[in-house]
Amino acid sequence: MGELGVEHFLFLSAALFIIGMMGVLTRRNMLIIFMCVELMLTAVNISLVAFGWESQTLNGQAFVVFVIAVAAAEAAVGLGIIMALSRRGKSVDVADIQALRD
Amino acid sequence: MPWDLIFFYILAAISVLTAIGMVAARNPVHSAVFLVLCFLNVAGIFVMLGAEFLAIVQVIVYTGAILVLVLFVLMLVDPEELPSFYTAAPLQRYLSFLLGGVLLLQIGAVIISRTAIPPRGDATPQNIAAVGGNVQAIGGIIFSEYLLAFEAISLVLTVGIMGAIVLALPERLGDKIFNRRDTISLSHTRGTDEALPSGPRGETPIVNDPNRVQPRADAARRVIMVTDPDERTTLDGSSGHRTYDTSGARGAGASSQQRYRPRNSGDETDQPANGRNDHNG
Repeated sequence: MGELGVEHFLFLSAALFIIGMMGVLTRRNMLIIFMCVELMLTAVNISLVAFGWESQTLNGQAFVVFVIAVAAAEAAVGLGIIMALSRRGKSVDVADIQALRD
Repeated sequence: MPWDLIFFYILAAISVLTAIGMVAARNPVHSAVFLVLCFLNVAGIFVMLGAEFLAIVQVIVYTGAILVLVLFVLMLVDPEELPSFYTAAPLQRYLSFLLGGVLLLQIGAVIISRTAIPPRGDATPQNIAAVGGNVQAIGGIIFSEYLLAFEAISLVLTVGIMGAIVLALPERLGDKIFNRRDTISLSHTRGTDEALPSGPRGETPIVNDPNRVQPRADAARRVIMVTDPDERTTLDGSSGHRTYDTSGARGAGASSQQRYRPRNSGDETDQPANGRNDHNG
């Protein structure tokens, strides 16, 4: 307990990141995996903002702006890939997608 | 217990629980809604950390744009194609729990044993308030210190949009062109199509048919555009077809509209046996 420090936010960030990582590892739906990746990015954002809050700089927040922009671009491309896969391969199961493997 | 700690625990508890619900939900739509809740709580965490601009961006970009996009994709993907609830191998599942636990222990040890005190910057609340607020301060640092990164990120977004268009569009466009080639019926009087190459779909060319009618010299070649090939072959040709006369002035006029239509009472060699013979391109 005690004072609200950066450790609280770091633990929250670690918890969200690990939840997202376990989702990526266990789920097979590509859309769920995509959402889990977004959750991991958000967890990292919390860490960046918390460190910037601790050191009283704005660099962390500027980084987060760029991370969010990259996440938006990734969302556009990733969802385009999912749409193309669901049209072509008729499945969004990652176990069924082997086009790049063979 | 101070109020900020209470608020932090409320927001953190809800965000972690909704994240777990997102991973564990069977229905993908429920997962998306859980993720929206999680992101809203993370926006609250950002407000606690003094990043109001990022909180608004989090709400607008993540919950407003990305997750709505996810829901649209969920709407477009057939639910029959969605895989069943995590059917990953049990070994994989247990291994993921093990890896998650190990990673949590490692990160926790690092956080607890962290002793480095970073140097204090000058972005104190007083200084941020002096420049007008969080948004002004962020804008100042992005457009001065991170200007090159800002330009690079605009390039990344442009390329990402182009990639999304490339992934989404050409197949659809190709389908459209393909279907149009299938439905535009280059229909004309039987026996006048000897100059045309065989159809693109590999149908049997009429050229090889020994019983076919000899071409009439005065036959005007007519292009009839229909959306349904069977619509053309009803042969009464009532209406609704856009007819394009390619024979120039010879076939012009409304009187020539019925000139080369096979009539039911006419000679039967003009009558197509079925619908497929008449619109072979």
